[in-house]
Amino acid sequence: MASTQQLKRRIGSVKNTKQITKAMELVAASKMRKATEAAHRGRAYRQSAHSMLARLNKVTEINEHPLYKKRPVDQRLYIVITSNRGLAGAYNSNVIKSLAGSIASDKKQKIKSSVIVIGKRGAQFLNRVEGIDIVAVYDDFSDKPTANDIRPILNTIIDKYTAKLVDEVCIIFTEHKSNILQTVDNLTVLPASYETDPDESEGPSLSDVTFEPSVNDVLENVTERLLEVQIWQALLESIASEQSMRMLSMKNATDNATEIIDDLTLEFNTARQAKITQELAEITGGAEAIK
Amino acid sequence: MINFQLISLDGVKFSGEAYEIILPTMDGEIGVLPGHMPLISVAERGVISIRRKQNEPDDMMEHFAISGGAIEVSNGSLNVLVDEADASDDISEEEAREAMERAQKLKAEAKDQVSLQQAQNLIDRSAVRIQVAGLKRRGRRG
Repeated sequence: MASTQQLKRRIGSVKNTKQITKAMELVAASKMRKATEAAHRGRAYRQSAHSMLARLNKVTEINEHPLYKKRPVDQRLYIVITSNRGLAGAYNSNVIKSLAGSIASDKKQKIKSSVIVIGKRGAQFLNRVEGIDIVAVYDDFSDKPTANDIRPILNTIIDKYTAKLVDEVCIIFTEHKSNILQTVDNLTVLPASYETDPDESEGPSLSDVTFEPSVNDVLENVTERLLEVQIWQALLESIASEQSMRMLSMKNATDNATEIIDDLTLEFNTARQAKITQELAEITGGAEAIK
Repeated sequence: MINFQLISLDGVKFSGEAYEIILPTMDGEIGVLPGHMPLISVAERGVISIRRKQNEPDDMMEHFAISGGAIEVSNGSLNVLVDEADASDDISEEEAREAMERAQKLKAEAKDQVSLQQAQNLIDRSAVRIQVAGLKRRGRRG
């Protein structure tokens, strides 16, 4: 049995760990709340972009536009969203598993895959894997990304897609379904898709609407907005998921620490009692011997 | 009156009635007044100015720094869709100037075309923010 001194030290250290995990749990909870709120705020943007597209669809055949036209896929680009920090349960490994699965199935179909990776964890993994073309690594995003952060990604994918360097762009991220359920999702962002809404044939006539500078320029811009909001929401959903998972794993860690403290305290008390009993026995033994 | 909505990725930044809105578009600055013809156009990085009432003097106008986006005028309403929109009250001129200095440093150190472009983008952004922060000061004096 360990000495009381040692037990005391161990209890102290577990208590410190518990304080840290508890604090991390609380921090993650507040960050998660902020990220989900921000993700919801993007909805108005998405709706507006959609309704503009609906108007544009009346004057031009959207699905004929280069950004919408599907072509046979020879090269696929993935945008992968991982975190900069660990201690978030299976958050990163789930995303990486999904990416690895997609790349393996691409290989079978002889599709070349390349990757844009967000987050240090994903970058670390991909550096170890051979034969994957990494287009760019973004590992300096904060917990509160700005529109300016995702601009370069947006420009890269649009440039590559219009230059026909890639035929499809997918984004792999973690969807935040609820605080306890997060699932990895694989979403195709390019070619963009536009589905006609049956209700939209109502609404005002567009014969007298002016498009400046031209219908195509406007369409390109609105499409860009739509892509942007998709990336943006994927990013925020991922951040929310990361924080949820971190919150949960830190809660488990805190619970485990409590359990260990209880066990150690029990052991400590037993050891202490045993020591007292032994001392008493020695004293009585000593007293008997003097008689 | 025009029903004006300014929507950024970060949510709705302005929603309400206004008399006149001045916007930077690809073809130059335009002013939208009640009864404007239906229009869909592309907005440039710049300043949006809003006059809430017809007789409001210039120095009472509200200003937003925006990045590029799309605008839509229809049936007496104006929708503006941009990545970023910051009200002049939310921008600190000092911070914007510091950001500008950082951006200029980045530009000086840029090694390739991509980072040069990114730095230029940051410089343009800071320039607009400084401009809008300056507008706020004038408004306060008046």
